[in-house]
Amino acid sequence: MSHIDRRTFLKHAAIATGGLAVASELLPSPVLAQEDSPLRPDPAARRGGTLRYAVHSAAAHFDIHQSGTVANIGPQGPMYDNLIRRDPRDGQTIIPDLAWKWDIAKDGKTYTFHLRKGVKFHDGADFTADDVKATFARIVWPPKGVVIPRTPLFAAVSEINVLDPHRIEFKLKEPRPAKFMLGSFASGWNVIVRKKSLEEHGGNLRQVMNFPGTGPFKHVSRVDKEIWIQERNPNYWNKGLPYLDRLEIYAIPPFDPANGSALLAGKLDYGRLLDPVSARKVKATPGMTSTDFYQTVVQAFFMNNKKKPFNDPRVRRAFHLALDKHVLVDVVKDVAPMMVGGFVYPFSEWASPAAEMSKRLGYQTDPKPAVQEAKKLLAAAGYPNGIKDLDFLVRDIATFRLWSVAIQAMLKETINVETKLRVAQASAWFDEAQAGNFDVAISAIVSTLLDPSDYFTAWYGKGGPQNYSLWENPAFHDLTSQIDHELDDARRKALVRKAEDILEQDPPLVPVSWEKIYDGWYNYVKGVNPYKIIGIYDVVRWDTAWLAK
Amino acid sequence: MRKYLARRLILALATLFGVSVIVFVVMRILPGDPLVAMFGMEGFTKLTPSDRARLIADLGLADPLPVQYAHWIRDIATGSFGRSFFRGDSVRDLIVHRGPLSAEIGILAVLVSWVVGLPVGIVSALRPNSVSDNVARSASILFIAIPGFWLGMLIVLASLFWFGYKTPLRVIHLWQDPWANFQLVIGPAIVLGLGQGAYIARMSRSCLFEVIREDYVRTARAKGLVEGLVIMRHALPNALLPVVTLSGILMGFVLGGSVAVEQAFGVPGLGRSLVTAVIERDIVVVQNLVLLYAMIFVFVNIAVDLSYAWLDPRIRY
Repeated sequence: MSHIDRRTFLKHAAIATGGLAVASELLPSPVLAQEDSPLRPDPAARRGGTLRYAVHSAAAHFDIHQSGTVANIGPQGPMYDNLIRRDPRDGQTIIPDLAWKWDIAKDGKTYTFHLRKGVKFHDGADFTADDVKATFARIVWPPKGVVIPRTPLFAAVSEINVLDPHRIEFKLKEPRPAKFMLGSFASGWNVIVRKKSLEEHGGNLRQVMNFPGTGPFKHVSRVDKEIWIQERNPNYWNKGLPYLDRLEIYAIPPFDPANGSALLAGKLDYGRLLDPVSARKVKATPGMTSTDFYQTVVQAFFMNNKKKPFNDPRVRRAFHLALDKHVLVDVVKDVAPMMVGGFVYPFSEWASPAAEMSKRLGYQTDPKPAVQEAKKLLAAAGYPNGIKDLDFLVRDIATFRLWSVAIQAMLKETINVETKLRVAQASAWFDEAQAGNFDVAISAIVSTLLDPSDYFTAWYGKGGPQNYSLWENPAFHDLTSQIDHELDDARRKALVRKAEDILEQDPPLVPVSWEKIYDGWYNYVKGVNPYKIIGIYDVVRWDTAWLAK
Repeated sequence: MRKYLARRLILALATLFGVSVIVFVVMRILPGDPLVAMFGMEGFTKLTPSDRARLIADLGLADPLPVQYAHWIRDIATGSFGRSFFRGDSVRDLIVHRGPLSAEIGILAVLVSWVVGLPVGIVSALRPNSVSDNVARSASILFIAIPGFWLGMLIVLASLFWFGYKTPLRVIHLWQDPWANFQLVIGPAIVLGLGQGAYIARMSRSCLFEVIREDYVRTARAKGLVEGLVIMRHALPNALLPVVTLSGILMGFVLGGSVAVEQAFGVPGLGRSLVTAVIERDIVVVQNLVLLYAMIFVFVNIAVDLSYAWLDPRIRY
């Protein structure tokens, strides 16, 4: 045994204490026994019954990883688990799922997940680290013919190593903020699928309706564009969950009054993406509840940067200031609930405070100062008499049709800009927008996370998948890279603020409004908490839902 | 008769060939991208040109147009009708599952149109310019003018807010649960039937109006036949011929109207599938359903023409 003197002891103790302090910052995994889950069965919950639920809609294919629509994650979500997940009770906290514990190395470059033992897929096969590796290898490095929207979230991942059947590590080329990485792993889209399923279908599950998951519900039957029936998984690893015997998931398009009417008539127990009129009626009906909640979507007015006059930031800022966002939110209030916000999710920790925003030009309830500034900017850019004949590409959805008419009138009235509306169905809209065949356009863009490292790249990044304005700003792109790499929250927030300033002065788009959505349900549906969840992609499993009837 | 039938069938095939070419070409020149529906209308995904090319090839849209057309005709000949672009579901299964519902709606709509239209037309013709005639004529103009989908929405809303009622959300076949099936089809059938019934009422009124002034009707009356028998045995059969022709033509309106009316009632029939397929740019489903609707229209009209010989002994093919 080597001799330890006082000096050596103190030195090691200091290192150990410091290490623990750093580790406590970087290792946020809750301390649980392996078989435990933070989601424990509620003794008050009643077991059994069928929950009849309607959600958008008939999926165009079955590969959740390749999808970007609730039409997949809505009906398929209950059949799968994630490595880690958002807590359905608050919609935010990241909690263990198939990984019961995780460690993050001190240098932030290695994430190790400890997997539960004894978990079975619905076909009876054991769940192991090989399945996790196969799942994430496909997400991080999609094979040819496979396109996965979440791939950019894992751009820093360089290796995925199976350490043993129940331990797996992800190595990063360079550290990323832990919140961002954990949020990416916890995204509802990143469900764990069997390695064998991927191998059997050449890594493409688009045409495979029922590939086995480990989730709380199992596939029973499905009729296209009509219903997906699932039953309780009796071998679910989280003993005692789910409470429901059966799920009947009806395919009803979003905001379709058929959803609200089916709910009000008692044909459904729970409706997601209700139209506002139905939501109000639900709220006024005894025994029923409705709430709105935040969605990870901004409704945006795009300006084609590759065309004059929108290659001039002054013109784009003039348009940004000329549009009265408060009025635009009001215009669609009977069609969809919306809120005013800037270029950063207004309800996220990264947003400028609401009080500050309300004083900022372009967001004030009194639009006059913003309009005066807009006129000055347009004159300085060489358009003192306004602009004529702009091609305005409008996506054929009720909200965009309403907004397009309001925006057309606003632009004409405030800065004498004349636009010609061209309404296009969704599929044609994306064709035209991606080809740059428009002067101005309106549609919605979506993100997986509220973290700027996700949507600053997707929406405003050079060549970003949803950067329909084809906007570029080297200073902003440089800041985005810094935001991606900065591990300190406070410094990261300061960088986001700087980036926001650039976006205000050189707008890539006009944030018309930020989307909220309505859910409605009968009060006997318990164990769900849409009040606090954000978006409709992460909390979709129904494992904690029960019926008090 | 056989010669006539053969000629009509050849013409029908030529018509259907024309329809198939038109729908095939139109679906390929219309703007829109099926990959948008495939990867989500939310627009999360931006495909690289090579991914796009590969996916388009997987869907069979990269083949030369004649090859694509030949594949489609082969699929029809084998009875599979091809597969939906997206979920890989068979179009044959879709037709077999949802077709009976739409067929019931169509047949019931025709029945409703006759049950409502003919008596109204008869009463109007026998008592011209009376109160009942004026009411019948106003009502028929009203039902011609009202769009079916709007009336459908009113019925849906009234049933919901007054009676808390909504039709079943799933396809339920007649043989599975006749009562639930009836609830699904009766609303669209009434809306479509009333629209058609209005045309039939006006046509039967004008035809009967002429026929009851014919010599043979006067003769029948002079023989001492009771008025009911005069109308039912002598006047009506001769007045029905144009009404039968009109019914065949109106079948087209029923088929076209059912698309919007099924949507308004939320009935999961073929019409609703067609709407979804158009939105998704699911070319295979759209072209098969349009061809199916055209086929029904063509063969119903052949059947109508053949029925003339049975209704009017003077007509022989």
